Formats: sequence, structure tokens, C-alpha cells
Amino acid sequence: MSYRSTDVDILDEDQLFQHELFTFAGGSELEPDVALKNVQAKGVDVRNFLTRGNTEKALTTAIENPPYGSNTTDAKDQNTKIVMEVLNSLKATDVSSIVKNLTLDQQDILMKYIYRGMASPELYNSAVLLNWHEKLTEVAGVGCIVRVTTDRRTV
Amino acid sequence: MSPTEIHQLNLGPITAHAFNKDRSQVAICPNNNEVHVYQKSGKGWNLIHALVEHDKLVTSIDWAPESNQLVTCSQDRNAYVWTFDSVTNKWKPTLVLLRINRAATFVRWSPNENKFAVASGARCIAICYFDEENDWWTSKHLKKPIRSTVLSLDWHPNNVLLAAGCADFKARVFSAFVKGVDQKPPPTPWGDKLPFNTICGEFSNDSSGWIHSVSFSPSGDALAFSGHDSQICIVYAGGESQNIIRTTSLPYLSLLWITEEKLIAAGHDCVPVLFEKQGQLWKFSKVIDVGKKKVVTEATAFNKFQGWDSKGIREGSKETELNTIHQNTITSIRPYQGSRNDISYISSSGIDGKLVVWDLK
Repeated sequence: MSYRSTDVDILDEDQLFQHELFTFAGGSELEPDVALKNVQAKGVDVRNFLTRGNTEKALTTAIENPPYGSNTTDAKDQNTKIVMEVLNSLKATDVSSIVKNLTLDQQDILMKYIYRGMASPELYNSAVLLNWHEKLTEVAGVGCIVRVTTDRRTV
Repeated sequence: MSPTEIHQLNLGPITAHAFNKDRSQVAICPNNNEVHVYQKSGKGWNLIHALVEHDKLVTSIDWAPESNQLVTCSQDRNAYVWTFDSVTNKWKPTLVLLRINRAATFVRWSPNENKFAVASGARCIAICYFDEENDWWTSKHLKKPIRSTVLSLDWHPNNVLLAAGCADFKARVFSAFVKGVDQKPPPTPWGDKLPFNTICGEFSNDSSGWIHSVSFSPSGDALAFSGHDSQICIVYAGGESQNIIRTTSLPYLSLLWITEEKLIAAGHDCVPVLFEKQGQLWKFSKVIDVGKKKVVTEATAFNKFQGWDSKGIREGSKETELNTIHQNTITSIRPYQGSRNDISYISSSGIDGKLVVWDLK
């Protein structure tokens, strides 16, 4: 709408910025290079766990320490890819038991990645993600979904 | 007293409600710029006064039990203190100088009723007190370090400390000591030197949601707050650790301690829920809504066809009613009966326009 074309908040000397909210939420910005390197190292670990058949460990490694922040887009994309690989490689029948063994923090992060994956249906298999979503919601409830939508530390 | 009472006072939402001291009258805002005062008659309520002075939505109401004064605040950036004139049988409004440039969101009388606090979208809290010299209600602002809209407030029993829940994901404890109005308070675990705007605590829930509600425990030594991340946090003054209850349900909009070890929360789930301290840990205890549990009958073929025949609809096909008393989000819960450290009845109101009095025993 036309009256919205003027950004009146600019005139407010005390305005609140997105990056401040991120800090209030307990997030700290990472250097893009460092974040990407960390994720790549993580990817190697995850692949090792997968080849050894230790899928649970692969999942928990893939979702730990996500590269939060506003300038880590590459690292985020890379990390999402790794998580999706793990989710796709697990048998649909194992999902329930794996989800139950996750800590509350891990459940919340996993839910973030499930939504992240569903946001790009052209890249990731939504059917698999919906199965994970269903099983995770059974365990963690709608509270988990609400936390994904409120958290400023996005994946 | 009868068990849980349900009153449908408005077809739309009730944005705020407050009872008088003997619970014979209740003031509500029916989701517009008016405040309606109802008088109890038998089992129902009769509308006796409509208080029309605000020109935008009334966001919060509080009724001082002893001085029998109402205070209301609104999105029109004003607050009014209402006094009842028994001669003319009318409520007389007095404008309060809030000096804010955004909507007022929440108002509460202090325990001694000589001050009240108004939260606002102007990133400040106005602490209002009566200025005898000029014969009006004036205010001082708590500003730093609030960075966003303040959504809820709660007074400490000592009349000086004030908790505020804020949309910048923080719950804070401030000193709202006003020179000349307050006596110097005895030391508390939150601090002993308490000039105006001292920050006695700043807390955050670790997955960041704006804080919907704050509540002091009966003793004032503990503070509970709930955020939009469906978590409830309980912190003790001077204690290092935060008790975080990560719930599986929708966010809670209102909190109320009923004893030092019991906390009621209500919100988007449409039911009040009890949390209890067990040992050192806080845990979910039970849902307080036994009013209307649906009778689950055996789904025999006979019942099924009988249902089609008598109702003309398939069971479950046109289900629009929730299995709870409140049919929509509960926005406010308040004490109804009992002392501060042992509340036996609470009242709740919400978007469904119902006012419910719950028997907790």
C-alpha cells in the first residue's frame, strides 16, 4: 500500500533492529568463512557416521551448533543439505524411536530444519520431511512448532 | 460457593476484566472503547454502568479493592482513574498524565493502592501517583533498558518492586520507588538499595519469545514469566539457576501463583493449567478444566445410526465446539477468592467473551 512506502521508523531515533533482536535472543554472529568451514568439517563427520551405520549419532552431529546469524547464508545452506541427507537416509520405521531419544533442545533444532527443508520443495523430499514432522510433533507437541516460529536464531 | 461458574458477558472478546472487593461487581471491556460494569444478581449479571471516555480499545482494567477506584488504559494512549460518586450514582473519570506516544497496554494498582503502573508500546512504563499539590495523577517513566513494547506487569507485595514482561524477550524487575509517596522498603532478596529505575533483575528464556506475562510469587521472592515460545520460567531472587518448563502446548498469556509452590497458566490452549514445585523442580501437574469432558461412548453401529437420525449429521463431521469451557484463547486470569498465598478461586476471561470463575479445590 502506498502510505507504507515511507519508512517512518527511520525517523525514530530509538528504533529496534533485526540484529538486535537476534542478540536479545541469545545469538552471536559468526564470520561467514569460519561458519562455512565448521559446517564442512561437520559434514565429513556426519558422512563417516553414516557409512559406519551410526545414524543416530549422524543426526545429532548434523543438528548440533547450527550456524545461526544474518551473514552465514552459505553455511546455513550447506548445513541444511547435510541434515537432509541424514533424514533421507534413515528408514521411515526408525523415525519414532530416534525422535524420542533426542533432548528437548535437539528436538527444537530438528524441527527448525524440517521447516527449512519444506521451504524448498524443489530441493528436498517433502514426503520424507512430513513423516519426520508428524513423528516429531507426536513427541514434542505444538510447543515445538511455536518455538520454531518465534526463535530469531534461524537455520 | 458453587463450583465453576460460566458467564457469557459478550459475544465478541473480553479484552480485560476486574472484580470489585466483594466480587458483587465486575468491570469488563467488550472489545471496544467502553468499560462495562456489571452487578451480580442471582446467578447472572446486569449491566449497570457504561464508562465511555476512552476513544480507542480499552486494553486493561484494574479495580482497587480498598479505595474502590477503577483504573483503565487504552490504545488512545490515555489512562483514567474512575471514582464512584454515590450521590449521582455515576463513575467520574480523572485523566492521568501518562506522557506516552504509543498505546497503553497494561495497568495494575500497586498493593497499597497509592500508585499504579501503566505499560506501553512507547518502550516505557509510567509509574503514576497522585500529586496532592496540583490535584492530579502524574507519572514518572521507567525507561532504561526497555527496547520494545511492555506487555505485562506485576507488583511485588512490598509496593516498590515491579516486574515487567517485554517484547524484547526479557522479563525485568524494576524499582518503582517514588520519593514522597513510598516509605523506604525493608531489604528484599532482590536488593536493599532501591532508588527509582534500579534494575534488580533481567531474565530471558533461552529460546526467545516475547514475554506475555509476569507474576511474582506470594512472598515476592520468586518471579514466573511465560513467553511466546511456550515456555514458563521461574527464577528466584538471588538464585543462580532458572527453572525452565518447556511445554508441548501453545503459549501461555497469563500466569498466577496460587500458593508459593503452585502456579496457574492459561493462554492459547483455552484451559488453565497447573504447574507445581516438586522437590527442587517445577513440573506440569494437571489441566484445570473438568467442566465438560465429552462422554466417550462405544462407537457401535447402532449409536452411529441413531446419531445420524437424531442430529441429521455425522458424528464428528461438523465438530466446531472445543472440548473445553473456554472456546477460545484465555487472555487473563486473576485471583477471585482466598488470600494471596492460598487462592481458592480464580477468574478468567478471553476471546470467546466468557467470564469463568474456577473452583481450584
